Amino acid sequence: MKTASDRDPNLLFIIAWLVLVLLTGLSIWTAFLGLGIYAPIVEFGIAATQASILFVLFMRLKGPPSLKWIFAGSGFFWLMFLYGLSFTDYASRRGWPML
Amino acid sequence: MGISSLARTTNRVIRPQIQFADLSQQGEISQLGMWVFITTETLFFGALIFTYFLYRIFYSHAFDIAAKDAVLWCGSVNIGIIMTSSLTMILAINAVADGRRRAMICWLIATAFLGLCFLGVKGYEYYIDVGDHVVPAVDYVFKPGEGPQGELFWVFYWVGTGLHAIHMSIGVGLILYMLLWRIRGGEITSDYYAPLEVVGLYWSFVDAVWLFLFPSIYLVGRS
Repeated sequence: MKTASDRDPNLLFIIAWLVLVLLTGLSIWTAFLGLGIYAPIVEFGIAATQASILFVLFMRLKGPPSLKWIFAGSGFFWLMFLYGLSFTDYASRRGWPML
Repeated sequence: MGISSLARTTNRVIRPQIQFADLSQQGEISQLGMWVFITTETLFFGALIFTYFLYRIFYSHAFDIAAKDAVLWCGSVNIGIIMTSSLTMILAINAVADGRRRAMICWLIATAFLGLCFLGVKGYEYYIDVGDHVVPAVDYVFKPGEGPQGELFWVFYWVGTGLHAIHMSIGVGLILYMLLWRIRGGEITSDYYAPLEVVGLYWSFVDAVWLFLFPSIYLVGRS
């Protein structure tokens, strides 16, 4: 019986790469579906999923040292601050097209 | 100089820098240092993409028309190339971890080659763009119904893809540095390969940036 340590370490990454390619195909396909204002939400949602796969597996966030999560998370945290506060500013102005 | 000369193993003993207790600690700190850099890069590209979001919300009609000149096949080929290069990079790191030095070198050469292919396709795309007269402030022809805001899309395009191409070129340079100096000098072994992991982190981050630039540029106004 094969144990976890016997498994080919490359297999996981090859599967992840296939998933990334499939998600790219899905993203291109949705661009032609006429989703209107939902199109960017779907496309950037797919991009965020792909980036998560890349960060967790290819950039080895999974695994030691766990301190990596704090460093990576801080980037995301400050980015959310940047987006949140800036969007609040613009959304409170007159002429915001979505209101 | 062939792969054989690069792959020749050396008996060089690698010692940690004086401030580290051992190589394992040195490797972990190297990785964390790259993560700090990636955090700053996230904010750098994040601010650019935030500006894009704003313009796209405010000027969605102009962006839909302006973006039709973006060359979808070039962007699609490049996203395939860059994702494959992230795979070959991680295969190189796995190879050195297993002590397969020759395989590591082959995967690294493949990664650098894919990086150059990406830049080649990008260069060809720029050639097409210049022919399409979509260079803001230099040679820009408005399409019917586009409005002046359409030019903003192409400002984002040139700034975003230009900055990305610079990062990509640095990545290719780092891989060549690894191959021609660090690996050739016997500094990357199965016992210590943190420098290669750090380059791998940078490479995959550049890949991640393209994942967001792709829908921002090539999928706008397609339906």
